[in-house]
Amino acid sequence: MQDLLYFFQQLINGLTIGSAYALIAIGYTMVYGIIGMINFAHGEVYMIGAYTALIAITGLTAFGIAWLPLVLIVALICAVIVSSSMGWAVERVAYRPVRGRHRLIPLISAIGMSIFLQNYVHLAQGSRNIGFPALMDGGFQFGSADSFQMSLSYMQITIFITTLICMTLLSLFISRSRIGRACRAVSQDLRMANLLGIDTNRIISATFVIGASLAAVAGLLLGMYYGSVDPLFGFIAGLKAFTAAVLGGIGSIPGAMLGGLILGVAESMTSGYLSGEYKDVVSFSLLILILLFKPTGLLGKPEVEKI
Amino acid sequence: MATPNFKHALFCAIVTIVIAYPILGLNLVAESTRVIVEGADTTTVISVFAAALVVFLFQLFRDRIMASLGGLPKLNPFADREHMPESKRARLESWVLTGIVVLALFWPFFVSRGSVDLATLVLIYIMLALGLNVVVGLAGLLDLGYVAFYAVGAYTFALLSQYAGVSFWMALPIGACLAALFGLVLGFPVLRLRGDYLAIVTLGFGEIIRILLNNWTALTGGPNGIGGIPDPTLFGMEFGRRVKEEGNTSFHDTFGIAYSSEHKVIFLYLIALILAVITALIIRRFMRMPVGRAWEALREDEIAARSLGLSRTAVKLSAFTIGAFFAGFAGTVFASKQGFISPESFVFLESAIILAIVVLGGMGSQLGVVLAAIAVTILPELAREFSDFRMLVFGAAMVLMMVWRPQGLMPMRRTHIQLRRQE
Amino acid sequence: MKTSVKKIVTAVGASVALMSAGQAAADIKVGIAGPMTGPVAQYGDMQFSGVRMAIDQINKAGGVMGEKLVAVEMDDVCDPKQAVTVANRMVNEGVQYVVGHLCSSSTQPASDIYEDEGILMITPASTSPEVTGRGYELVFRTIGLDSMQGPVAGNYIAAQKPERVAIVHDKQQYGEGIATAVRDTLKDAGVDIAMFEGITAGDKDFSSLVTKIKQANVDYVYYGGYHPELGLILRQARQSDVDAKFMGPEGVGNKDINTIAGEAAEGLLVTLPPSFDQKAENQQLIKAFNEKGEDPSGPFVLTSYAAVQLVADGIEQAQSKDPYDVAKALRSGSFQTPIGTVQYDKAGDMKSFEFVVYEWHSDGSKTPMN
Repeated sequence: MQDLLYFFQQLINGLTIGSAYALIAIGYTMVYGIIGMINFAHGEVYMIGAYTALIAITGLTAFGIAWLPLVLIVALICAVIVSSSMGWAVERVAYRPVRGRHRLIPLISAIGMSIFLQNYVHLAQGSRNIGFPALMDGGFQFGSADSFQMSLSYMQITIFITTLICMTLLSLFISRSRIGRACRAVSQDLRMANLLGIDTNRIISATFVIGASLAAVAGLLLGMYYGSVDPLFGFIAGLKAFTAAVLGGIGSIPGAMLGGLILGVAESMTSGYLSGEYKDVVSFSLLILILLFKPTGLLGKPEVEKI
Repeated sequence: MATPNFKHALFCAIVTIVIAYPILGLNLVAESTRVIVEGADTTTVISVFAAALVVFLFQLFRDRIMASLGGLPKLNPFADREHMPESKRARLESWVLTGIVVLALFWPFFVSRGSVDLATLVLIYIMLALGLNVVVGLAGLLDLGYVAFYAVGAYTFALLSQYAGVSFWMALPIGACLAALFGLVLGFPVLRLRGDYLAIVTLGFGEIIRILLNNWTALTGGPNGIGGIPDPTLFGMEFGRRVKEEGNTSFHDTFGIAYSSEHKVIFLYLIALILAVITALIIRRFMRMPVGRAWEALREDEIAARSLGLSRTAVKLSAFTIGAFFAGFAGTVFASKQGFISPESFVFLESAIILAIVVLGGMGSQLGVVLAAIAVTILPELAREFSDFRMLVFGAAMVLMMVWRPQGLMPMRRTHIQLRRQE
Repeated sequence: MKTSVKKIVTAVGASVALMSAGQAAADIKVGIAGPMTGPVAQYGDMQFSGVRMAIDQINKAGGVMGEKLVAVEMDDVCDPKQAVTVANRMVNEGVQYVVGHLCSSSTQPASDIYEDEGILMITPASTSPEVTGRGYELVFRTIGLDSMQGPVAGNYIAAQKPERVAIVHDKQQYGEGIATAVRDTLKDAGVDIAMFEGITAGDKDFSSLVTKIKQANVDYVYYGGYHPELGLILRQARQSDVDAKFMGPEGVGNKDINTIAGEAAEGLLVTLPPSFDQKAENQQLIKAFNEKGEDPSGPFVLTSYAAVQLVADGIEQAQSKDPYDVAKALRSGSFQTPIGTVQYDKAGDMKSFEFVVYEWHSDGSKTPMN
């Protein structure tokens, strides 16, 4: 019984992280699906989202506003506005001018942007880790009090639900709305879509904005869940989320979700049953193994070679 | 025309404020045990708004500004070179390279120790970038985990010297071959992946190797790293103040000159220089051999190359292995220069910097790689005085270079015959 | 060939003589190497503020042998590669005494160069035994070793008679070193060690680790590493009702842990050098720091101050500016510094350096436990 509870606890831990990875991975996968580049600066956009949320929360607390839903909604709105502006600006400044060049050019530009943004925040906000105030404590407990108790915190539930809502909204948006349809068209054939009168520049900007907004949501949620932010933490999370996107099949939105969850669970199971030191080894090995058997990821479309 | 431009300019200005003000203008500071938000000083706020104004004006008059900039002559010293006939260009490039090497041979005797040491680092980066150039520039395989092979070379030497007392000269080929072997073994399964899938898998390999080095404490010392790595010797002569190895003599005793620590630094520099030249020559040779042509053929059009009977696996593997070989080379020199290595020196950023050198150098061109390696290593060092802004500027420079000069400092030119354009 | 002639002429005697001969100004340069940027920059801030204060005060009091101390500050980002570059630049600058570096992994490769070049180095913060364990003549430190601090923590935990103990570390030189020392002490004392595990520094998610700690049902958790990770572990442990007592080394003992862990920091045990800032004889100095608006309570501020003072006192004692003479003087003498009376053994470690167990509180204050 105790071992089973332990297993479920690790599963919950993994799914929580996994859904957050999925939110970030959407940004990678949408951008890749449309213009075929790896947006290395996306992790930094997520980090900036977390910082903005923290600034908003601390600012509100200073004014004596402490009603939790209001604080969260204001923080969320601030984070989304700043992050999506950042995503938009990054695309305009660093990617649009190099679009259509050899694929390494945007990649290097993205790595440069990532270094720039890290140091931008570092200079403005300092290098130290800054703690998030604990806003949402407590949760449900399972199991008897004298042995191992499984806990499901309110924070974890919030993360699941928010992720689910975001994913549903995104799917609806992509399949129903005008912009969503245009997005799909552009990702299938950019030039043809252009010829048919779709403003491709606008659609690409929209992709960056959507990806960045979801990253901002993840920034707020994970900042609160973990408890601190620092200028470097976006990069690691970005790397993981990118791995998740590739694992699920880059370019596919359900794939990002699936990849994120698998990666999150794999990580927490490794730390839970093996050792935390090896969790990155396991997740990368898993990625390599899956790609060996399915070279385009779990839900990716097989690439057709055209002459 | 005026109205949409105005709207757009206003929008851009607002975005500038939105992305700059919260991060720059509202600082999170720890006040004893609590975090509070503090408004930045007025200068910061004013400069944020000034920046927004600049963006606004630039966007408003964008067309006119771009037009007037376009009228200026190109700020590119190599611009005229592009019209040079191929044979002359190639000859010029080899002359320039030879000139650089000759200059580099005598240069260390006239400058300070710190500069020589830095130059050794530049040479290590040149070796790395030349090796990665084979993989990325010539064969077109995006490798984001190149630092793994560098680590293999460095650790091979460190471990061999620690456990078996092997000297630098013995370890050099062993380290390089072992790195090549790693390249071969790792490359075999992953090379059927295409493009960016390959990129993330190599990135994964790089991280795996680093984490294993960090965790395998019994063998590699884990985070403690390995110290006491010997310096290279010259025919059994050591450069230290005291002779450490039995049977060796010291350099200054043999020649009856006083001990100077500069001998060692210069000697290491010369070794690195010779190795870098050898690397460049070998790769140059490869480029002209059938295998080199096959790399480029595969990069340009994989399907066409395969239909001409090239084995995709063999060609890709050869590029991967040869690239890894030279990374092992560089790793051995690095270990010997540092005297101490730990996994911290082999992080992803290192891979990214080497890749940046290759791209900045113009993918494929050796002279370009040399220039880019110098620029990428020396610029942050010159900027050490503004330490805080160093990496910020470095990141911005990477973006700007890609935007302004995406073909790199010296784009590669293959020998080809150009038909006269009919106009 | 001109250059080698030049070298033979100039290199008569120690390379040290070469440096001072070329220098017209009668100043004594003291190199200060530590991280001004990067993830551990805040520890660098402590180092620089201590060093600057010491140089200021020594110069105001008339300098050393009538000469002024001049600081040559360089940023090594706590990166071993950059540390070597910095060390070589120190040689270029003609520096004869270095106070630094901070991280053991930077100190170690840099000290090779200093030893070769005849530069005296005193590190105010590197605790790895390796630093002084290689028989170097010119390497000293003003801080205790991991192998001294570990047993203090281990013995304290063992004295509480716990049933099971978990040891976690951050897989870095400092953290793993000290965690290993604690483990060895506990093993000798016959305490059951339920887990000994590493985490990744810079990681944020410790939910799996916390669950594991909870499952192991331990009484004590010892963490070897710095405060950003421990702060999060404390916080996440509190979230899932882990009731074990946590303990850490001096790297976790600063107020930043309170901003991260909040209430969860209450009751954390920390081994720290005795708070020099509380000592009566240091009040004058503490006042000077406070007047400058700097915080003297960080673990490396006064050790850095002491390092500079030792350089100055060593020169006075030896009545010579040759680092080898100064090293001899340091080894033979006994010096009054803000961190107590310092005497060195042959390796360059202080003969006695005390660590005290403190209990940390959620308002950032601390009380001694024994």
